[in-house]
Amino acid sequence: EAASLTHSEGAGGLAEWVLVELQGEVEPRQSSGLAGSLLGDLHYTREGVPVLIVGHHILYGKVVQLEKPFAVLVKKGAGEPDPTGPHTHYNVTALIKTKLLFKTRPKPIITNVPKKV
Amino acid sequence: AMRSRAEVDATLQTAKLNPAELLPAVHCLSFSPQAGAGECYLLQLEPGLCAELEAGRSLVIRGEKDEQAVLCSKDKTYDMKIADTSNMLLFIPGCKTAEQLNADQASCDIIHSQIAGFSNNYWELRRCRPKLKKLRKLLMEDPYEGPDSQKDPTLTFSKYTTEDLLSLIQASEEEILHQLQVINACKIEGSWRILEFDYEMKLLNHVTQLIDSESWSLSKVPLRTCLEELGSLEPKEMIEHILLSYGRRYIDDGEIYFEMHEDKICRAIAQMLLQNAVKFNLLEFQEVWQQSVPEGMTARLDQLKGLALVDKTSRPETIFLLKVEDLPEENQERFNSLFSIREKWTEVDITPYIQDLCAEKQTVGTLLTKYARSSMQNGVKVYNSRRPIS
Repeated sequence: EAASLTHSEGAGGLAEWVLVELQGEVEPRQSSGLAGSLLGDLHYTREGVPVLIVGHHILYGKVVQLEKPFAVLVKKGAGEPDPTGPHTHYNVTALIKTKLLFKTRPKPIITNVPKKV
Repeated sequence: AMRSRAEVDATLQTAKLNPAELLPAVHCLSFSPQAGAGECYLLQLEPGLCAELEAGRSLVIRGEKDEQAVLCSKDKTYDMKIADTSNMLLFIPGCKTAEQLNADQASCDIIHSQIAGFSNNYWELRRCRPKLKKLRKLLMEDPYEGPDSQKDPTLTFSKYTTEDLLSLIQASEEEILHQLQVINACKIEGSWRILEFDYEMKLLNHVTQLIDSESWSLSKVPLRTCLEELGSLEPKEMIEHILLSYGRRYIDDGEIYFEMHEDKICRAIAQMLLQNAVKFNLLEFQEVWQQSVPEGMTARLDQLKGLALVDKTSRPETIFLLKVEDLPEENQERFNSLFSIREKWTEVDITPYIQDLCAEKQTVGTLLTKYARSSMQNGVKVYNSRRPIS
């Protein structure tokens, strides 16, 4: 059985995505799950340090150029088992060469009074 | 509802961050509707693979249900393993780095980025030896015995084309094609076939007898004359195939010649002699062997590495057939098998039987350190098993 990883047909080659690495797990606020929900705001300082505000936390990170880049694979025709062919196809959708690593412990944001927008 | 500039600024204020110290652009990250579906996988790329993908080349994952999956590029094979991380990895399309934001002065607003997926594991690759033992096994299901084969023509056997082999063998295309050459396989009616050994020797014998009767130099055997003289005995493709298998093809003055490979021919003849008994008296064997090889060739024991083993402890000394390709492919199993054949091995004797196990940067020495224990015997260093062999 062979699964082929084909380069997705797109003009200008493969897209480049970015990886964001967070410590621990991300839990949804609502019971409806993560899909569609907000994670937070990603800023950069003028020196290029990434700053992520997630809920009541501020996370400071650093930009890491990956020694070993990642390929992002998406299963083609997922959810449809093919009874005739054994071939699973994975599309190489993007490459990731950079990651934003947030390793420092988050700083909690202390609020006294909720500010009206 | 998408976040507004006002909301972003309010958050900054609450967080007591000074907007003046930040770049004006902000990414508002949210999870795409498909983010949790788990259809996105991360594959960590070994050096060279990224460039292959960028050049538009494909990678293939190969493996039957009972095999551990490997990833193949055009010419290399990699083991695949899941690596877990205690962290959460989010993959974000269209997320810009600070450099990109600085370079593009127009972006000073909100960038709504959707997280395409997330994972806490990824596939790790490690270059491995191509798993080629199966190739020989498949082709040995139905070796080609020549046009006069006595085989029952009503029996149907699987025939393997290059495409078939690519989907069945856990190796890259180049590694497979190279191995086909090594085992002297040939294409007959579109399928790859390995010659039945007796038939192969029959073909070789036709050629060596002709060389002898024509008194040709072993390094200048003309293709044209071979085909003319032997074409009535065997198919021309088979004559050319045997010349290619046991010689080096070259062109001189517009004619095709072959420089016959002394070592390969002597080795094949040794196999032919040795397969007839469990073991032979070494001196007797060497005499018969030298008499059997073509005039002008010298039979030497070092031609038999990985094919036969000499027992220097028996009186008289003996030699027996032991083909490395008949031994297990996996490292530990290979060593177990070797140590059950002989308890203690010198490095010289064992090397031909473990050389093919060496991974990219491994040496025979590192393999021996890992899988064997050394001791001294009569002033010579020998290796034996680390564990008891039943």
